[in-house]
Amino acid sequence: MASISIDKIKAKKPKDLLFDTFIIFFCLFIFFVVAYPIFFIVIASISDPTFVSTGQVLFLPKGFSLFGYEQIFADTRVWIGYRNTLFYALFGTFINLLFTLPAAYVLSRQEFRARRFLMFFFIFTMFFNGGLIPTYMLMRDLSLVDTPWVFIFNPLTVNVFNLIITRTFFENNIPHEMFEAATMDGCSHFKFFSTIVLPLSKAVTAVIGLYYLVGHWNNFFTGLIYIRDYNLQPLQIVLRDILLSNQVFAEGAGSGGTGGGYAQRYADQVKYGVIIVSSLPVLVLYPFIQKYFEKGVLIGSVKG
Amino acid sequence: MIISLVTIVACSNNSATEPQETEDGKTILTGLILKHALTKEVAEMEWLAEAEERAGVEIQWEEVSADWDQKKGAMLAGGDIPDIIIGPGAISDADFAQFTGVFEDLSPLIEEHGPNIQAMFEEQPLTEVLSTYPDGAIYGLSKYQRFWPETATMQFINQDWLDNLGLEVPTNWDELFDVLMAFKEEDANGNGDPNDEIPMDFAPIGEGGFGFFQPTVLLGSTGMTIVGGGGQGYFLEDGEVKNFFIDERYKEFVIFMNKLYANGLINDEAFTQDYSQYQAVARGEGDVAKIGYTFGWEKTDRFGLNIADQYQTFAPMQQSADSDDEVSWTYDYNQLNYGVNFAQISSQASDKEAAMRFINELYDPEVSLQVLFGSIGPNIEKTGDQSYKILPPEDEEMDPGTWKWTSSWADNGPMFISDEIDVELPVDMQDVEAQQEPFKQVFENLDQENDVFPGMMLKYSQEDQNQMTLVNTDFMNIAIAKFGEWVTSGGIEEEWDSYVQQVEQIGLPSNIEIIQTYYDDYIQQISE
Amino acid sequence: MAFTQVSKTKTASRSKRETVLSTFRRDYQLWLMIFPAIICVIIFNYVPMYGIQLAFREYDFTAGLTGGEWAGLKYFEQFFNSHLFWDLIRNTLLISITTIVVGFPAPIALALLVNQIRWKRGKRILQTTVYLPHFISIVVLVGLLNVMLSPNTGVLGLLLAKLGVEGNLLASVTAFVPIYVLSDVWQHVGWNSIIYLAALASVDPQLYDAAKIDGANKWQIIRNIEIPAIIPTIIILLILNMGSVISTGFEKIFLMQNSLNLPISEVIETYVYKTGIVSNQFSYAAAIGLFNTLINFTMLVIVNTIAKRVARISLW
Repeated sequence: MASISIDKIKAKKPKDLLFDTFIIFFCLFIFFVVAYPIFFIVIASISDPTFVSTGQVLFLPKGFSLFGYEQIFADTRVWIGYRNTLFYALFGTFINLLFTLPAAYVLSRQEFRARRFLMFFFIFTMFFNGGLIPTYMLMRDLSLVDTPWVFIFNPLTVNVFNLIITRTFFENNIPHEMFEAATMDGCSHFKFFSTIVLPLSKAVTAVIGLYYLVGHWNNFFTGLIYIRDYNLQPLQIVLRDILLSNQVFAEGAGSGGTGGGYAQRYADQVKYGVIIVSSLPVLVLYPFIQKYFEKGVLIGSVKG
Repeated sequence: MIISLVTIVACSNNSATEPQETEDGKTILTGLILKHALTKEVAEMEWLAEAEERAGVEIQWEEVSADWDQKKGAMLAGGDIPDIIIGPGAISDADFAQFTGVFEDLSPLIEEHGPNIQAMFEEQPLTEVLSTYPDGAIYGLSKYQRFWPETATMQFINQDWLDNLGLEVPTNWDELFDVLMAFKEEDANGNGDPNDEIPMDFAPIGEGGFGFFQPTVLLGSTGMTIVGGGGQGYFLEDGEVKNFFIDERYKEFVIFMNKLYANGLINDEAFTQDYSQYQAVARGEGDVAKIGYTFGWEKTDRFGLNIADQYQTFAPMQQSADSDDEVSWTYDYNQLNYGVNFAQISSQASDKEAAMRFINELYDPEVSLQVLFGSIGPNIEKTGDQSYKILPPEDEEMDPGTWKWTSSWADNGPMFISDEIDVELPVDMQDVEAQQEPFKQVFENLDQENDVFPGMMLKYSQEDQNQMTLVNTDFMNIAIAKFGEWVTSGGIEEEWDSYVQQVEQIGLPSNIEIIQTYYDDYIQQISE
Repeated sequence: MAFTQVSKTKTASRSKRETVLSTFRRDYQLWLMIFPAIICVIIFNYVPMYGIQLAFREYDFTAGLTGGEWAGLKYFEQFFNSHLFWDLIRNTLLISITTIVVGFPAPIALALLVNQIRWKRGKRILQTTVYLPHFISIVVLVGLLNVMLSPNTGVLGLLLAKLGVEGNLLASVTAFVPIYVLSDVWQHVGWNSIIYLAALASVDPQLYDAAKIDGANKWQIIRNIEIPAIIPTIIILLILNMGSVISTGFEKIFLMQNSLNLPISEVIETYVYKTGIVSNQFSYAAAIGLFNTLINFTMLVIVNTIAKRVARISLW
């Protein structure tokens, strides 16, 4: 909090000072409550799992070992998984936005007569669906099964939740007068959308882009159901397999084997390591998106 | 528009494909193996390549080790399955009933191309019973694993602690109570802290019923023979199907458990910990053991190399010094050595004869041994015409169990380990055998015919199966929750009658009746 | 192009002279822009909907999804007559409503709070930190809960014991819902606040300046400028949340279940898994799913109607 200079604080009203102090303490509280378990995951991923599950790892790693990470990265499938997921996530998000943003814009136009009907038409699909089996049969008949396309084109290509969020944003943040002024200048919907609406909507584009991207990133169900060729599997499936292969006999020596003491011992380490390996790339991304949430950044961009 | 699209979808159908061949004339098949997550890629298994070679096939494998239930539904309902499916119960009898026509009846193929399977049916007639569906067809093949012990759950007690405190191995529940009390009150492990001993611990109890390594084994003391650790409570007594959840003897057992819990003798996390915590706690800290009395598969697996020597298995206890019940224990031999539906062929398979030739290869005793333990060479040494020695792991740090599961399909594969061949087992199996000793007596006295519930041999119709599942789900919800509640907080004596009434109202008696009918049919069938 | 250039200043909905055809010609660009989304939804969402009828039919593999014998309401009755029916409804509602009541306002408060921080580095660090837990998989989260709440060794378990909360919380019927909900808030509050932060980012800075000139204090700025700016988003999200009033996550509850909390932790989704999916009872699972959908959808329509009357905000 170094950058809050003394002068500034002095210049403030007493009420605001109290308010600021409250904010600072509350933020610190939230920070520690949220950060500790994450810190725990990090130290647990490099500690001896026996110490972890007997509660001896609290603030510092104990019994340092990188076995978990070795296990994860020794598996060549991880790199294939990264590559696949990267492609599915980036290309998929691009398609998602391409379909969602214009549709949201259209649905935000008050003069568009079919908007209420279409809105209902979209929302209906949030609730009613045919279930897994008909969807699987559809994908099979469209020859999407066991191809990368099934990650791009599926029932979530247009995510109605994101559509609604975007529409709400357009409705509330693109002044109606702006469009009227634009049409005066001979601007079509296409042009208005791409030159005015989009630049004004960086924040919401960043948000739903992130929503879609993380959705792709965490998606493992599509791979599970529709993909048979292991070379097409996304990262999450690969990591899940690695996780399971270490979590031997978690239900007991169910199938009559002897428990694998060796692998079992390190299961938890791999478990925590997997979290780090799978989420690091999305974490790195976040600061780049964050800047769109700064106060006033949008208005500034339009003026500039 | 929607309707027309629906019609298109509904009308399209997949047609059987023409058999494809490799350049050197081998038939190309597709296969799916439900393997253990630990198991290496099948492409790296020498024995498998050899078996495919001999059968003149090349199989493109899809390897599944997780979430099969979810994947299976869509695959079967879509009618979109590979030529061969391998795995323990990958396809269930319920699937054969529901997805009629998806799987091929193997009987004619076995007759023509399955000499090894025929040999298994001859040597181990039970495998034929297990493979035969009620309509007489064979859709899924069973296995015979031969070497696995009579029970998966053994009880262990810390002998060092007993010696430290000058105590004897308990022979009945009262003595067990006294021993556990001493473990708790005194510094049994001698590390100076009298409070770090956990007298008793057991594996987490699933919401779907009891399983291995759980305290239900103590029901044996009351004369009941449970199977597979207890499951949903069905057991057999004098040829009659019963359920222990509504048995007075179960009530006594729960009262005893409550007495242990109320005195702080059971790990207070026993009901909430997961399996890895359960394992970790038992490994102690360095040379200091933490657990006095517990259940597991084998000593080193349960306690780790450091402290395994402190423990020993001991014979099943009596309920009290003066009880005259014939003591029993959970009997798991069938579950561990036989299995149903390990291999099936799609009715859409491009070349069913080739598929059968390959499956027949798996049932060749020498191949089967490799299915179980790994390839001859790295995993098995052939010491004579019909004799083999299972080799220790290449990596010295690895235990033989993990080595086996890593190297091959292991217990998940179809196999016929013929009684004719000589096998020198790996150390872990020898240890299991040795540690099983105290339990032998009980199993020798066991009336196999009338007191062991042959759960896996009974094949229900789809309707009965569905009916029973519904009842069992509701029933388990109450029974398991009540078990936990009664053990931890007591109250069984007041609530018992209304509990029994509630469970009966849910439909438990009708389930028992259904099972009894199937059991009687089964007995009649095998006696013919 | 020409059509739109004839700038019709009156909005279409108010003009009665327009025919469907003429609006179509005027709005053809809009139709083009929404067309891909419509097609996509028809193919991937509407086409498989014929599967809904499975809830009213026996599943018959050989006859196909739509060919099974008509069973009417058999599977619905089976569900209503289940001994667990009322327990399931009670547990499900208890968990989901508590999640909404606690989990819905939390990200709003967080977003407003974060927005007050002027130290940019600190703001970014806090934002990134609260966003992190969203990426923890459920298996790990539940494992983490087990480790931390352990009464003998866990950080939280020991802390709570000092505060006088004795016993094993994981085994407690009363603690199940609080643990479930609070860990849910912990995991998703940062992620869910993103949308509000984005809405706050679009507040015109001139408004802040004007407020300062008027001598408004911080609290007044929050109340009069920032909250109004995110109100539309709040209402829309609230409506959508009410549309999942009878849904709970499956995996987390399933993993958190143990024999001691079962009386409170058995919910509709775990029940469907145990009866329907594991044993191939597709029709039963479909019927329970449809029952859920109908309740959720009804709730959505009701709340949406209220929002429309009260706040003039509606989903459609």
